[in-house]
Amino acid sequence: MAEVTLYHWEPNANSGKPMLALMEKDVAFDSHYIDMLNFDQHKPEYLAINPQGTIPAMTHGDLVLVESTAIMEYVNDAFEGPNLMPASARDRLRIRWWMKFMDQWLAPSFSMFGWKFFVGPNALKAHGQEKIEEQISRIPLPERQTAWRKAVFGLFSEAEMAESGRRISVGIRMLEEELGKREWLASDTYSLADVNGFNLAYAMPLSQPHLANDELTPNIMRWLRAIYRRPATRDCWKLGRTPMASRVEILEQDYIPPRDESEGISSGVR
Amino acid sequence: MSTILYHGEPAGPSLTVLAALAESGVDVDCRPINLLAGARHSLPDISESVALDMGVEGEGPVLVIDGEALTESVFIAQYFDEMGAGNLQPKDAYKHWEMLMWCRRVTERGAPAAAFLKCQAYAQPTLAALSDADFASITSAIASDDLRARWEHVRAGNFPSEQAEDSRAKVIATAEMANVALADGRDWLMGDFSIADLVTYAWLCTDLVPEALEGRGPLQAWMDRMAARPSVQAALARATVSSPDKSWAPGPEINRWG
Repeated sequence: MAEVTLYHWEPNANSGKPMLALMEKDVAFDSHYIDMLNFDQHKPEYLAINPQGTIPAMTHGDLVLVESTAIMEYVNDAFEGPNLMPASARDRLRIRWWMKFMDQWLAPSFSMFGWKFFVGPNALKAHGQEKIEEQISRIPLPERQTAWRKAVFGLFSEAEMAESGRRISVGIRMLEEELGKREWLASDTYSLADVNGFNLAYAMPLSQPHLANDELTPNIMRWLRAIYRRPATRDCWKLGRTPMASRVEILEQDYIPPRDESEGISSGVR
Repeated sequence: MSTILYHGEPAGPSLTVLAALAESGVDVDCRPINLLAGARHSLPDISESVALDMGVEGEGPVLVIDGEALTESVFIAQYFDEMGAGNLQPKDAYKHWEMLMWCRRVTERGAPAAAFLKCQAYAQPTLAALSDADFASITSAIASDDLRARWEHVRAGNFPSEQAEDSRAKVIATAEMANVALADGRDWLMGDFSIADLVTYAWLCTDLVPEALEGRGPLQAWMDRMAARPSVQAALARATVSSPDKSWAPGPEINRWG
């Protein structure tokens, strides 16, 4: 069988989706870590594989695939192993709806918060402003340079942050309600919607503890813990290299009692 | 099982699903609604409304199965295909990936641009002519804050010229992408006829950006083939107005990350 190589960053967000889908299908693949904050994705050797310079990308023999959700559908279609899409066309329609809603409406808001309060500051601490400026100045497209500066240095307007905050709060309420209807997101069986949603939402109890916790969102917590316990998720997270993959001990416990807000690690997020 | 398709005039996303329905041979109760009168937000007997309320596509068609509302034209087209003839999606996994990527590029880049220009040309005058009270009765029924804001921008005529220019460029880029795909002489975008053809045609069908077709021979010939396709004609036969492509309501938002 043709070999599979996945070019990915940390096992979260867009990189985490095809990683976890491959692990769930038990497909052997070469893991090729792309250090996004070292701008590996703009280096010639990666651009030779994916000229768009986006992460993740997957090769299967001579085929090159990009876009995390579409890669997941390919992984599910092309390989043996458990089917990550249910048999009912109506369930598949609902799953695709949730994946698009998360990819295009909710995830961009999470990512704005993630960059401003976590990824951006960590990148600055690790590499220093000067080196990052230099790396950004080497990105060929000016609009990509602007987007990267905005992301790394947290230069989002107040209106943008407020809108993202509103969407996160609405999205969490919607997820909680949806997960109250069924065991898994959008269907009765574990599916690509769960793989997608977990990679988007696993850090929510830490980054948004006032919105996602055992009292307010018991269904979300139940769902995150169930996915966190899956062997595929464990294997997937071993491929992470930064503290991102080790900071969710909260999901290892069955229940987190409420604690004084002053102890909350999210004070910067409010 | 009760299945109802609420759709607007056969243009944009409603054209996609009505043509896909005709291709599929599936039997569904089709009910036309006036999207620009806000009819989508007062449908009867909806027990699960999240997809209707929060769909990224905006004012598109709504499929209601046993009271559950389901939206997004590409996914409804896939549903009809999977319930019916099953000839609108490639069977090969890689070709299927290519179709999904194509549809996403069109709906994420081309569609918001086309919707922006069409709302400016066709929806704005109608909404501006409404009394404040009549407009408020429409918007008060809209659950999504950002969709409601798009309605308000359209009524207020808030169409910044840079966004209009950018929208024209994106419609042209969508046309160019299709023209390049067709340049090898193939009849349909993915080789075999697929949902990619329906989605691309539905969003490119406009005379607002004439330069999108100019000098693009393969694209023009494909537009003619699409117009002659019986499923497209069956969809257009459902029109209740003489120019369904000029019937429009607020659509998908422009990507917030650019």
